[in-house]
Amino acid sequence: MKRLLPFIIILVVLGVAIGSVVYMTKPQAQPNANASPSPVGPKPSPTQAPVKTGVPGADPPHTMGPENAPVKIEEFGDFECPPCGLFHPILKQMHQEFGDKLHITFREFPLPTHNHAIPAASAAEAAGMQGKFWEMHALIFENQNTWKTEFDVRPVFEGYAKRIGLDVERFKRDVNSDRVEQRIFLDGKRARSMDVNSTPTVFLNGREVPFQSLPADTLRVLIDNELRAAGTK
Amino acid sequence: MIKESHREPRQSAIDNRQSTIPLYVAAALLSLVGLGDAVYLTVQHLTGQSVPCSVTSGCEEVLTSSYAAFSGIPLAAVGAAAYFSVFSLATLAVFGYRTAGLLLRPLVAVMVLVSLWLFYLQAFVIRAFCQFCLLSAAITIALMIIVLVAWKKGS
Repeated sequence: MKRLLPFIIILVVLGVAIGSVVYMTKPQAQPNANASPSPVGPKPSPTQAPVKTGVPGADPPHTMGPENAPVKIEEFGDFECPPCGLFHPILKQMHQEFGDKLHITFREFPLPTHNHAIPAASAAEAAGMQGKFWEMHALIFENQNTWKTEFDVRPVFEGYAKRIGLDVERFKRDVNSDRVEQRIFLDGKRARSMDVNSTPTVFLNGREVPFQSLPADTLRVLIDNELRAAGTK
Repeated sequence: MIKESHREPRQSAIDNRQSTIPLYVAAALLSLVGLGDAVYLTVQHLTGQSVPCSVTSGCEEVLTSSYAAFSGIPLAAVGAAAYFSVFSLATLAVFGYRTAGLLLRPLVAVMVLVSLWLFYLQAFVIRAFCQFCLLSAAITIALMIIVLVAWKKGS
């Protein structure tokens, strides 16, 4: 038995290691199990989190949906952050599903760990100065994997500017303008005042939504909850 | 007299071996921590982008960089295999398998070199540090020290 003991220990450790990888790489079953119960019962809710107002960010903010919509979502995002890229289609889907009931705001929060985050935020803001923030926002997020590996991203974003019909010369000037810099700075100040230190950080009617609740299935339930609380559903 | 002189070196060899046992136990325990760390990183890598990007941590950056996988195999998984090997060899060494203790030396040496290379990549190429990768590097360095001490004691 003693001769076998080391081999038994080794096999047990191997089993535990492989077992935990297999168990933890199957997350699909879990969020669904949490999200699928009846839509009336208790739900994962961000309402535990306190409402945060924070200092104002860039004015006017980039928004979609009517100002008086019952549900307001504010995202602090970084264009180079992969989970933000994944969240982009989710938010787009929510916008389509909830339409006029949802007001969406995007705030710039370029992280220092990302080389191209500030140029990307500047490109989106510069497009915003010609009234096409959301078009640029979508292009930058949808092509994240293409430009994030580039050494110089400016020509890529100028290409996007041309594609969405911007005045490219003006865009090139605006990207480096004080106004764009100031807007990013103000959004960052707002982020800090609301204790945002990672992206995407999403606020639903002023309350922070836990990162785990950002998949479409859970977010939809949370928005429904807010609509119900507001008496519009 | 002859008997005496025969016994002495043998006895001291046994003493030496005895005195290295706590070292190999420590190596086995440390490699378990390393294994846990590497398994966690492997899971993060495989489930992909399941952690938000953060002001303080560069894990997302490091784990999604082109250096995080080597011809399709996540580096963290290679690390997990390495820690598992260290654990196996150290456990066998505790139970008196001398060869296992000897094999630990080249294995840990390679791990130290790889850790240094990965540290260089994080510091100068990716320019982001991932705490879990740094923990792994620290464990490898500690393992190296243990193996060196055991080497000195065992010989």
